Amino acid sequence: MAFLEVSNITRRFGGLVALNAVSFDVEKGEILGIIGPNGAGKTTLFGVISGFIPPSAGDVVYDGESIIGVSPDRLVRRGLMRSFQIVQSFADMTALDVVTTAALTRRPMREAIDYAAHALLRVGLGGKEHKTPATLSLQDKKLLELAKCIATDPRCILLDEVMAGLTMAETAAPIAIIEELNKQGVTIVMVEHVMPVIMRLAQRMVVINFGEKIAQGTPDEILKDQRVVDAYFGDHLDA
Amino acid sequence: MRDEFYKTLASPIWWGALVIAAIMPFVLSSYYVHILTLALVYVALASSWNIVGGMAGQISLAHSLFIGIGSMFSAALLLKLGINMWLGLVISAVISGILGAVIAWIDFRFQLGHLSFVLITLAFAEMGSIVVEGWDFLGGASGLLLPKDTGNFLAFQFGGGHGAFWMMLALAAICVLVNVAILNSPLGYYLRTIRDNEKAAQAIGVNILRYKITAMVISAMLASVVGTAYVRYLTFADPYLLISPVITIEIVLFATVGGLGRAYGPALGALLLVPLGEILRGKLGSTLPGLHYFIYGIVVISVILVTPRGLLPLFERLWARWRGPAVAGKP
Ligand SMILES: Nc1ncnc2c1ncn2[C@@H]1O[C@H](COP(=O)(O)OP(=O)(O)O)[C@@H](O)[C@H]1O
Ligand SMILES: [Mg+2]
Repeated sequence: MAFLEVSNITRRFGGLVALNAVSFDVEKGEILGIIGPNGAGKTTLFGVISGFIPPSAGDVVYDGESIIGVSPDRLVRRGLMRSFQIVQSFADMTALDVVTTAALTRRPMREAIDYAAHALLRVGLGGKEHKTPATLSLQDKKLLELAKCIATDPRCILLDEVMAGLTMAETAAPIAIIEELNKQGVTIVMVEHVMPVIMRLAQRMVVINFGEKIAQGTPDEILKDQRVVDAYFGDHLDA
Repeated sequence: MRDEFYKTLASPIWWGALVIAAIMPFVLSSYYVHILTLALVYVALASSWNIVGGMAGQISLAHSLFIGIGSMFSAALLLKLGINMWLGLVISAVISGILGAVIAWIDFRFQLGHLSFVLITLAFAEMGSIVVEGWDFLGGASGLLLPKDTGNFLAFQFGGGHGAFWMMLALAAICVLVNVAILNSPLGYYLRTIRDNEKAAQAIGVNILRYKITAMVISAMLASVVGTAYVRYLTFADPYLLISPVITIEIVLFATVGGLGRAYGPALGALLLVPLGEILRGKLGSTLPGLHYFIYGIVVISVILVTPRGLLPLFERLWARWRGPAVAGKP
């Protein structure tokens, strides 16, 4: 039995079928990449797995138990953590406050503050602890999302486009963090548009188009898959 | 609990301020002692409201209900059933806490959009005043008159005047300290995260319902206790004062002017605005009726325009500038 099993997840928004019977497994300790054009349903899929969006049909099994209907905060305490594609803002809290709250899932007050400061250092936000998230640069906001993830001591994280909008040089820091987390045994599912990054990090990939899974395999297999090339990469691979 | 809380407990400034406040009755005339006692009532009320309204960002208009239960119900228990007011205080606080939990749960269960909490709490406050005015046990519309305060502590009597002042001082200090304690503990972090971004709070493991209920219960119980002490001070349990929306509006106003969500903000607001209102009324109320409201309104509006986050942040900025640029802001 896989660590995370997504089976036949369907989600409709009114008449729109955002996800149509999507199934795949995530093995413990792997990095699974999910790709697909804008509007394919990737963020909706993360919403379903993380407990924010109830599916119209289907099941998600995490660590041996169905998690449909389990609230997001309980999933976090069970080690299933997500980041948001749209970086979340906090009006009146500092970066340290926010990450401390995340660390409180598993630690008492004083330890949580130290652990949060450590998580901020680890993602390279040392010295910016007392800034409010809104005043951080886009790159730093993305790093803050990662620090929040780290601070909850997750066993599995869902990363939604944490590299989007970053320059190639700026992606170095998040890539290193993701690799390090994975080495420590954290299972990672990541949605990413930056192809070189996901090709390098992911051990396996799933491709989604118009709410349906159209392919899965190693990055090499995906690159050769004609359906993927047609549906997704289209012209710029030919160029 | 963060060390800052224990530092506060051990702080000479805190105890110094308390001692200075405690000797006020020996220095001031009874008129000013009365004004200060009122100010302390509102320090306690605004600070207890701050837990749910300021920290958790849940604008509760139900607090007149909790104050009303604490005052009218414990007065009725004493007068109609002979129940000691200390026990009445506990019973009322428990009922208020349960009602607070129910309100928070209803709001969560039937999320009706942005204003739902405001409207639900307002509805409960309205129901409360209808019940009080229609139920003879609570004195109906004519209110209840407590026996004279002879200073029998065991009967929840503090001897009026000085005694009532000290009672209120202790209560106000407790309410402010509860604020300090919450802001330095996990609950404070959870509430602030919920206020700033509920979805993101859930995504970092915060159980929103549990902590919204916790905040509401603590806040409601404190408000109820203050209500019991307040009615003992007033001696006359007047439903038009104690369970009217006006008292809630005042509390919200003081907390906002002082600084929402901050441990000392609501206290500051009440300490400045209650005496201001009372003194303006005393000086102008008979000669030019209405003018004191006008001046009072101008002061409040100017404060909110100049410093929307309240006076406390303004004072902190001024203090930091005066001390020099090297001083970092406090959390
Ligand atoms: N809450 C919602 N209500 C209605 N439609 C939605 C909602 N969320 C997403 N959608 C739609 O579902 C589709 C998939 O969106 P999304 O999951 O964000 O795609 P992706 O992350 O792959 O770009 C899009 O057509 C989007 O407009
Ligand atoms: Mg998306």
